[in-house]
Amino acid sequence: MNLEKIVDQTFYWIDENARRSAMALSQKLSRRNFLSRLGMLITGAAAFPLLPVKRAFSQSAVQEVGDPQSCDYWRYCALSGFLCTCCGGSNTSCPPGSQPSPIAWVGTCHNPADGRDYLMSYNDCCGKTECNRCECHNTEGDRPLYFNSNSNTVYWCFGTEDTSYHCTVSMVLGTAD
Amino acid sequence: MRIPVLFAVFLLSPLTLGQIAPEVLTVETLPEPGPNWFLGKTWSGGAHIFDAHSGEMMGMVSLAKNAPTLIANPDKREIYAAESYMTRETRGTRTDIVAIYDYDNLRTVAEIEVPNHIARLPVKRHLGLLNNGRHLAVLNMNPGHSVSIVDVEDRIFVDEISTPSCAVIMPVAENDFLQVCGDGTLQLIQLDLSGFQQNRERSTVFFNVIDDPVFDRVARSADGWILPTHGGMIYEVSTDDDEILIGEGWSLIAEGEESWRPGGDEFISAHQELGLLYVAMHEGSVDTHHQYGDEIWLYDLETRQRLHRHALEVPVRSLMVTQESNPKLIVSDEAGGTQVFDAVSFKHERSIETPASVHFEDF
Repeated sequence: MNLEKIVDQTFYWIDENARRSAMALSQKLSRRNFLSRLGMLITGAAAFPLLPVKRAFSQSAVQEVGDPQSCDYWRYCALSGFLCTCCGGSNTSCPPGSQPSPIAWVGTCHNPADGRDYLMSYNDCCGKTECNRCECHNTEGDRPLYFNSNSNTVYWCFGTEDTSYHCTVSMVLGTAD
Repeated sequence: MRIPVLFAVFLLSPLTLGQIAPEVLTVETLPEPGPNWFLGKTWSGGAHIFDAHSGEMMGMVSLAKNAPTLIANPDKREIYAAESYMTRETRGTRTDIVAIYDYDNLRTVAEIEVPNHIARLPVKRHLGLLNNGRHLAVLNMNPGHSVSIVDVEDRIFVDEISTPSCAVIMPVAENDFLQVCGDGTLQLIQLDLSGFQQNRERSTVFFNVIDDPVFDRVARSADGWILPTHGGMIYEVSTDDDEILIGEGWSLIAEGEESWRPGGDEFISAHQELGLLYVAMHEGSVDTHHQYGDEIWLYDLETRQRLHRHALEVPVRSLMVTQESNPKLIVSDEAGGTQVFDAVSFKHERSIETPASVHFEDF
């Protein structure tokens, strides 16, 4: 069997499989359904760069210095609560059995390691009693309760099954500059 | 034979037991509240009732943890509190209520279920009594803001009014209340006699929430409310029917004192009849608005002149001046103690050992 024949058979196999898959799909899905899904895919692909997660993924890990269990750590400039880093969690994970609140307050903190400002999301971990370790109360950019997206006084255990407050994580959403 | 012997023992028993009648356990009822009685609300639940003259504790109201505050209604001899409970303390089904306590026994006499949206934070102005004590307004956060109205006379929940980006409940006129809003305005909600919203008004913009926000801690004045900003400006506000009146702002801070700022928890209070304003102040930079006060500054609201600066050994967390003609200044300090001062002379009268009070209410 020469090389030309092998290539021909490979292309035939690919074509045949594509044909069979298309036939099977056409029997299961309507044309309108296919177009709507194609549209969603195109729209989603176009919108993906706008999402904040894209910014976080687009750079390597943030360079950091300091003790994440200390209230002076750069991420905690607008954090009020108990540090999850002292409670069995980390800055990006809640302690075992607690529930992360999907709703958060935000702040902008200066990272001394690279001299840049970062947009921070402070999410409460909920569903357990207060951790009561490493209490921290920093108020940089904190605003009153009526401006609650920037208010660190609020217990942010909204949207969780259990609404008691346990501790707070601090996640980098992206650079602020 | 056996019965007469037993009868004789019964008659002689007081003699054989030492002639002391056994003490009987009773339960006190609350005496008639005196002048300068006050409520000290703790973070973790209850509120202690004290007599500022004697320093004695008179009783206690048990509350759910994180209950915002409680309000006494002397005319009906009732106390109202907004409370939130979970069936398993930290988990389970949530039930929010307005609880009504009687004066005599400080026990619950009624509970009214409200939407499970109560803002579970100890803030003094998250409750407001309207319509001559008939309607109680409760601030909600879910996380959008709203206000629940409860008829405490008929013991029924009336309505939940959506108030996006506006918080604080400042009762004005008969059935109305003002709120501070994130766009730098005040909002006036006017209720009808049944407690439903009848009208809503918005003021012009008078502050910037980023540059110098108005605190969510305010003080009641003789005809309205006193609103401080993080930077030390004071705005006196009131209403005239459906018109919101905002006075020209004036500063607590004189030239050369720019490093001083107001701050703490409930750090501002006014004696309405005497027109005196008490503010806890500290030296600090921008965004130190939660820092406890090293001094209390006293102002004459009419002349806007400072009358006194009072330095404290232990920083002040919250304060309240009682409304009597011989007023007391009640101070909760950083160490957890409660201090009582003569509110005019600033003479320290007594320390009261308490669990730390986050703020005080008149009783």
